Amino acid sequence: MDVSKILASHNAKLDSIKVEKETPLDVDAGFLTVTDPNPIDEESYNSNLEEHLQNLARDGVQTLLASLFSLPTLSSPDGPLAQLPAPKTPLPRAKPLPKPKPLTKWEQFAKAKGIQKKKRDKKVWDEERQEWVNRWGKDGKNKQVEEQWIHEVPANADVDYDPRKVARDERKARTAKNEKQRSANVARAQSSGSREERKQDIERTLASSRISTASMGKFDKKLEGEKKLRGVKRKFQPNETSVDEETKASLALLSKMESDSKKMRRDGPVPEGSVLNVRKAVRFASKGQGGVALGRQAAGSKGKKVGKRK
Amino acid sequence: MLRTIKPKNARSKRALEAREPKEVEDPRIAIFVKGTHTGEVVKGAMKDLMALKRPNAISFSKKNDIHPFDAPTSTSGSSSNQSLEFWCAKNDATLFAVGQSTKKRPNGLSFVRMYDGKVLDMIEVGIEKYVSIADIKSAKCTPEYKPLMHFGSELFDTHPRFIQLKSMLMSFFNGEEIDSICLTGLEYVISVTCAPTPATLNTASSSTESTALPKVHIRTYTTKLLSSGTRIPRVELVNMGPSLDIVLRRHTTPDPEMLKQAMKRPKLKKTDVEKGLGKKKKNMEVDEMGDLRGRVHVGKQDLGKLQTRKMKGLKGGNFEAEDAEEDGEEEEEQGGVRKKRKTSS
Repeated sequence: MDVSKILASHNAKLDSIKVEKETPLDVDAGFLTVTDPNPIDEESYNSNLEEHLQNLARDGVQTLLASLFSLPTLSSPDGPLAQLPAPKTPLPRAKPLPKPKPLTKWEQFAKAKGIQKKKRDKKVWDEERQEWVNRWGKDGKNKQVEEQWIHEVPANADVDYDPRKVARDERKARTAKNEKQRSANVARAQSSGSREERKQDIERTLASSRISTASMGKFDKKLEGEKKLRGVKRKFQPNETSVDEETKASLALLSKMESDSKKMRRDGPVPEGSVLNVRKAVRFASKGQGGVALGRQAAGSKGKKVGKRK
Repeated sequence: MLRTIKPKNARSKRALEAREPKEVEDPRIAIFVKGTHTGEVVKGAMKDLMALKRPNAISFSKKNDIHPFDAPTSTSGSSSNQSLEFWCAKNDATLFAVGQSTKKRPNGLSFVRMYDGKVLDMIEVGIEKYVSIADIKSAKCTPEYKPLMHFGSELFDTHPRFIQLKSMLMSFFNGEEIDSICLTGLEYVISVTCAPTPATLNTASSSTESTALPKVHIRTYTTKLLSSGTRIPRVELVNMGPSLDIVLRRHTTPDPEMLKQAMKRPKLKKTDVEKGLGKKKKNMEVDEMGDLRGRVHVGKQDLGKLQTRKMKGLKGGNFEAEDAEEDGEEEEEQGGVRKKRKTSS
């Protein structure tokens, strides 16, 4: 058995597809690309440009085809399909990565249970008519009860029993339920973050409404589930006070309302989240006296300017 | 700029959803637009490139006053940038080829790449020699097949401008990620080679602008597969159009933040980890049954500190107690144990 001859002929065959280069060519099979990192040979470039380019390209393509043809293949009616690996060269994306959408209620349940999604066909086999009928849409099977010309009515039925209406109402109710569930899913997907904020908001308004009675909520019946409020007392001023004290008290109250000593939630003319901090601006402008004092100053100066005209 | 469209029927809703970002992206659509002055060379080159890029290419028939390399005038960028962004949004196209020929820059062709509706980077090249498809008499490939690409020169791995050119050309022609390809459908190859590198470029000097960059030759060949006796066929190339000799002119580098966002990859799913992709995690492996198994390393346990007093089974001594007197023995044991507990606490 002379194996050397067979080996020699095999090697000869391999020679025709072998490509020898200084640095091996970099093949990116995922993108069907090959890069030749060898420097360009000046002499062959200068002598015959087109031939040099074609030879370079031929060697590169030979290497690329060698790697492509050695990939695992699937057979298909158009020919062998080579399973390409993941690409190596990083290319920038055209659009940003999609944000993961929160799963709907059904999707969460199906995932937990391991239920696979089944695609339903539009046509359904109707045994009576022995033909394929639409499940929905024109002449759909879902409307058959409504559209048929005769109905069996049970003996104990009402005089006004309308089977057509009953069937139609059922179908409409099913659609409405589906629509309600879909909008609930959409709402849940949009506002998954601000539920806690809304909850805190509600608790705050509830607390303030509980003390909004004349006796600061002291004698109101407490509902079950409500938290006990602390430190809420009503102070009673004496019935008779001097005029000065009364004016002082009223003005002090107005100043307190306008000032920033107690932070109160107000949506003023400047909405929340704007660049201007109204509280700080008023404090700075009035040098700590508050908005009422600022207004008085402005009114005073205006009055002086205008003067008394008669 | 464009009003957000609210879909009024199922068909428009489907069209809108097709434009949404996906994990594995669709092939990029390119718009070929002509500037105010173009010559025959630029027109022909754009027509041929569009033929190679079909069906993902749109050609604007009218001339537009567009200068991609304008300096930005307002905060929203130059007016040319705004035009590009508008066309990108309207046509869902993320690549542009702008052809313009002026006296200072004859036969100029600019490639623009977009990300997230904004310009990512631009490359301007000048066409020095151009041979169209029609001029080369040879068999042509079937249109709309995916091309093979070949880049020849070490500059495509080392020089930043050539790396950008390679990335741009790959995005243009071969950018989509595909799972499999029919081996009979590999019909043509686009070969991009540089001229020999001048010696000045090899020295790592900072003054790269002063040295002239070598010319780039783009050639397109159809492949002829010949039997070679083994599974891998021998390939021969036949020149097909177009063939372009280009020189690199201006360019813009992408904003690093934008580039970082654009290069983000989706997280690898479990199926891919099973296949063996992703970082080689030492503590995860797929066993013979095909399940993904992980190892958790708890650390070495100091056996001296093990609490053995509370383990009744380890009580030494009366293991071989007589079976007959088990009850009595047990009671004694318990009493003994209780006594021990009292002394220990």
